[in-house]
Amino acid sequence: MFKTNNVTSRIFERQIRTPAPGTSVHSARRFYENLVPSFTIYDVECPDHSFFKFTDDGQYFVCFSRNRQDLIVYRPTWLSFSCKGEDCDNNQELPPQVKRFESFFTQLYVKPLASCNELICKDFFLYMESNQFGIFATSTAQIQDARGTDGAILGVPSFEKITIHLFRLEDGFKLDEKVFHNDCVNLTHNMGAFLYDDLLAVVSLRYQTIHILQIRDSGNLVDVRAIGAYCREDDELFINSSSQLAGNRGDLVDNGTNHDQPNSNNSFLSGIKQRLLSFIFREIWSEETDQTQRVQCLKKKFYFHFQDYVDLVILKVQFLDRHHLLIKFGSVDVGASRNTDQLPAFFAVYNMETTEIVAFYQNAADELYLLFERFCDHFHATSINSMYMNFISSHSNNIHALEQLKSMKNKATSISQDSARHDNALLDTISSIVF
Amino acid sequence: MHPNLSDILGAGQKPSFHSSPMGSMLGNLPSFDPHNFSQLRPSDPSNPSKMVPSTYRPTHSRTLPPPDQVIATEAKNILIRNIYQRAEEKLRSKRAATEHLIPEHGCKQTRPSTS
Repeated sequence: MFKTNNVTSRIFERQIRTPAPGTSVHSARRFYENLVPSFTIYDVECPDHSFFKFTDDGQYFVCFSRNRQDLIVYRPTWLSFSCKGEDCDNNQELPPQVKRFESFFTQLYVKPLASCNELICKDFFLYMESNQFGIFATSTAQIQDARGTDGAILGVPSFEKITIHLFRLEDGFKLDEKVFHNDCVNLTHNMGAFLYDDLLAVVSLRYQTIHILQIRDSGNLVDVRAIGAYCREDDELFINSSSQLAGNRGDLVDNGTNHDQPNSNNSFLSGIKQRLLSFIFREIWSEETDQTQRVQCLKKKFYFHFQDYVDLVILKVQFLDRHHLLIKFGSVDVGASRNTDQLPAFFAVYNMETTEIVAFYQNAADELYLLFERFCDHFHATSINSMYMNFISSHSNNIHALEQLKSMKNKATSISQDSARHDNALLDTISSIVF
Repeated sequence: MHPNLSDILGAGQKPSFHSSPMGSMLGNLPSFDPHNFSQLRPSDPSNPSKMVPSTYRPTHSRTLPPPDQVIATEAKNILIRNIYQRAEEKLRSKRAATEHLIPEHGCKQTRPSTS
């Protein structure tokens, strides 16, 4: 069966033939080969909002008010007109309505999002396509001279109140919210959050916790787990009860003293830090069979860098599937900065159900790069519901894209012979696309 | 029931009616060439054929599936599967080294302080 490019015959084909299973979205999108923009309209008077984003399904256009307190949502209702006559293509006259903003967008509602001392984060928006729920964030101003509190790490700014709002975009009805007090979540460009199906992961940089929330169909934001100091739900109970018996919690047992001490003085490492360190230890342990070699190896690779490993902080998180997280660790200096991609990074794959680290990749490991080259589509964990993602070309499913990636990598590594710069080049390639 | 055959066949052509042994199946439908369908012997409706479609008889049993085999989609996606596989491989090749290290999994026992 040969495919035609003519739009009329494509429409007839659409009438009489069903597309191959699962490709209905793809067949519909092919019409964009026939429908091309032919006009640009300038100097349209627009309302004074800061326009932000279209949702992925094209149903809503999200804007924020200039004072960053209100949410304004429009429905894109594109102007349509017909032309009757012989010479329609060359006829440059458009109807006068095209000069009006309202011809293209219909305002649905204006809802206050932030209260008086808060501002909307105008880079943060997540969209849940299946229910048409939108997730926004508001935060208060940054607190200067944030004092370290119990569990908080130093070197990360603090905000008095960060709120994640869940809205039903259809009518602007607020469904639920999750508040973080005296915390820091990296909200620019959704860096501190990741939405996968109905699971939302939010990284609290200050308390080094990954909050997993579930968005239920009823509109509730439910806490599923908090990974950080504790991995399982009953860890906190267990640790508190056993530490009372053993009394080895160090300075945390004394009330009101030494709260500003850095965490590394605490002799007890729990939660995900413990999982990570024990995984690294066992990996290095199992590399050598000879006992003395093993100890040497450990000294060199583990104990020498022990403090560096302990000081690693969780920077970003993404889902690989419903049970596995890909966690990016790094140094605390880059915790709040935007451009984290150039500095050394460590990636760990963590299974939330078994609470075990499955894999750990140090700083642009070749293994991670190979996985990424072969399975790039699975790093962009998307919901199974979004059908259009099935047909995106990437270098894991397209040989031409793979060629391009390889030539990019070769160019980057051939310039620098030094192995450290080779690693950086590799890390560039990974980081530019993984998150 | 009596279409105008000259209309169907177009001007200048005459329909030809020839009786054929296919009388019972085709009825009195016209045919262009009287020898069409002359070789065909229709089946007798009073004695229907007992033939069933042929089944394939394999000559060996080397590729038979196990009798209790159930085929289901793997729940883990290919990336996760690959990551676990590599972890397993590393562990398997160094299994002797790790034997001394792994305690019983999943038990939370209070251990005396070692500091």
